[in-house]
Amino acid sequence: MEFIIENLSKKFGTKEVLKQIDFTFESGNIYGLLGRNGAGKTTLFNCVNRDLKADSGSFFIGENGTRRPTVPEDIGYVLSTPTVPEFLTAREFLKFFVEINEKSIRELRPLDEYFEMMNIVPEDRDRLLKDYSHGMKNKMQMLINIIASPNILLLDEPLTSLDVVVAEEMKQLLRRQKDGRVIIFSTHIMELALDLCDKIVILNHGELEVVDKENLDNGEFKDKIIQALREEEHA
Amino acid sequence: MLKTFQTAYLLKNTYRVNGIIYSIKQIPLLRRVLPDSLYRIRGFKILGNILSVGWEVVSTFLGKFLYLLLLVCGLGELFDKAPQWQVFLHIFFVLTIIGAYMNTYLFNPTRDKYYAISLMRMNARTYMLSYYIYAMLRVVVGFLPFTLLFGRMSGVPLWICLLLPLLVAGGKLVCVWIYLFRYEKTGRNPDENKLNKWDWILAAVLLAAAYGLPYLGIVIPWQAIVALMVLAIAGGVCSVKKVARFTFYRELCQMMLAEKKSGLDPRVTSQKLVQDASRKKISTDTSITSKKKGFDYFNELFIKRHRRILWNSARRVTIGALVVVAVGVGACLLNAQVARATNESLMRLLPVFLFFMYALNRGTTFTQALFINCDHSMLTYGFYKKPDTILKLFWIRLREITKINLAPAVVIGLGLSILLYVSGGTEAPVNYVVLPVSILAMSVLFSVHYLTLYYLLQPYTAETELKSGTYKILSWVTYLFCYALMQVRMSSLVFGAAMIAFSLLYCAVAGVLVYKYAGRTFRLRN
Repeated sequence: MEFIIENLSKKFGTKEVLKQIDFTFESGNIYGLLGRNGAGKTTLFNCVNRDLKADSGSFFIGENGTRRPTVPEDIGYVLSTPTVPEFLTAREFLKFFVEINEKSIRELRPLDEYFEMMNIVPEDRDRLLKDYSHGMKNKMQMLINIIASPNILLLDEPLTSLDVVVAEEMKQLLRRQKDGRVIIFSTHIMELALDLCDKIVILNHGELEVVDKENLDNGEFKDKIIQALREEEHA
Repeated sequence: MLKTFQTAYLLKNTYRVNGIIYSIKQIPLLRRVLPDSLYRIRGFKILGNILSVGWEVVSTFLGKFLYLLLLVCGLGELFDKAPQWQVFLHIFFVLTIIGAYMNTYLFNPTRDKYYAISLMRMNARTYMLSYYIYAMLRVVVGFLPFTLLFGRMSGVPLWICLLLPLLVAGGKLVCVWIYLFRYEKTGRNPDENKLNKWDWILAAVLLAAAYGLPYLGIVIPWQAIVALMVLAIAGGVCSVKKVARFTFYRELCQMMLAEKKSGLDPRVTSQKLVQDASRKKISTDTSITSKKKGFDYFNELFIKRHRRILWNSARRVTIGALVVVAVGVGACLLNAQVARATNESLMRLLPVFLFFMYALNRGTTFTQALFINCDHSMLTYGFYKKPDTILKLFWIRLREITKINLAPAVVIGLGLSILLYVSGGTEAPVNYVVLPVSILAMSVLFSVHYLTLYYLLQPYTAETELKSGTYKILSWVTYLFCYALMQVRMSSLVFGAAMIAFSLLYCAVAGVLVYKYAGRTFRLRN
């Protein structure tokens, strides 16, 4: 499966944030999306998720030589500030989600199994989400996105504010989830990107570009990425 | 000291000027024309500076002018049991005591102080002192013209008028001295906005004394006021030394300004307030559950956990309407004249009820709660944004909001019919039907209206700020429409029939629009 972006452009005022981007992401990979502050990573995600109307551009899912435009269910989006319906308990949210997506969920399991998968302990499962901590809300958001198993999973700085244990759990989880889908992971933390991601893509001056690892070790690769981000700046 | 003052003043002026330019840039049409580099352009800086200095002058005088005009002179005029000039002195004196401890200037954690002391690391002591000297000068200079003007008008002797501004400054200084003394002894945060229960009780007592005593014809003897005034001024002079020698301004300011660190941006702060307030409205009652499935399950939990904000006011309106109807029926039965007047009004005043129904409708409360506590987060999930999901929830929600508004509408509608009957009836019995049905139609109309606007425009941003200009304009249009129709005088029968037809048509059109567009328009705004 492929996720294809064609001719994506977005301007704010006179500032061209995304410049006619053409890019193809391949399933089975976690893409680390790096970019300077204000480079437009979130804008890119918002366009893909159709929260923001792009000036031009289309998104396709390609499979076996045919392709079709993306639909909302293709895309999962986990934001850095987790958003969950605060008036529901974790179990109620999950129940609602499962009920209305019954047909599309693969291998439906009992709700408690899902909570166990996320290490959400029994006493927390029936608490209102408004009383959840940041990290717990994040887990719920991730869980919903994982069960929905979208073809494309967008993650916007999702691990930065989690404690080390939860962050590690999430990383493991993401690695297990990557088969058959495209995961794009935006972050400012280079080490995280190198540790978790299979490919590094940089967004600079409105363009997407793969930085090839070749046979560099992590240190050299890091320098290369930074170089690429810098060079772009002077280009 | 002078240098510090200059620096601080320039700093304040800079962000004030930038603030002015920013507001200019928020004006819809100008926004497109003006470049971002505006803040650099000299001309604009000069314009901003002129406005800023103008504001400084205005703010020195305007508040004091209004204060003396309205609170001292204006209210003072109401009491005629004591000589006017003594009433003036009495009110001014007592209010000055309240102002002295509630508004010290020094212990108000303002942005100026935060920027200068916490962010720019200016010397806290010199900053606070220079700031304070300036504030006191402003008090004296700002009050003098108006104590003279209004004081002389009330007949206060000239020499007392001249002393009054010094009383204000002296009183504030004494209070500052007390605050500093207390800080040294107890370490209590001197933030003047953090008053405790006793401070408020004192303020209430003083306020009662300021206006209550003159009402009874009692005023503090002017000789006593003059004596206290001299005492306050002398106390003020003494406390100057204390204020000047106090050495812990830095730690005091750190404490006072600590909360400013997070959330200085007023927009962010106010959004957080709105969000926190909304979150608090979610019921934590653990017995609330739902036996339904899917969307109905989701919706029922939402409604049940928001019962307080959604249903309570509807219930209050219903009870209020019941009472009004009961009283009306009673009055009609007892007094033939009232009955006749009621009957006539009922046959003509239905347009006024459109405005009532507009004002009573809970549509905006509902959509706001929907967004902040529900859709705001749910719209980030792909499955929730599928067009058929959106439509399904729209119909469920329409049903709910109509239900919420139905109880008051039924009571008002039937109430009108009953009133019509007891006030003498009508020649055309069809009125008994048209009145309640048109009230119901209005109720449904507004429910549909607000929910449709919400789905078609989704006016809130992800930060729960209302951003859609179209939405604001349409809200105004709705108001004007109802207000304008209120001026119309036509037979209730005609108006009612027209209203029913209009509501049906509107609902049909709204339904079609939502069906066609909501799938695309119901999105988070960025």
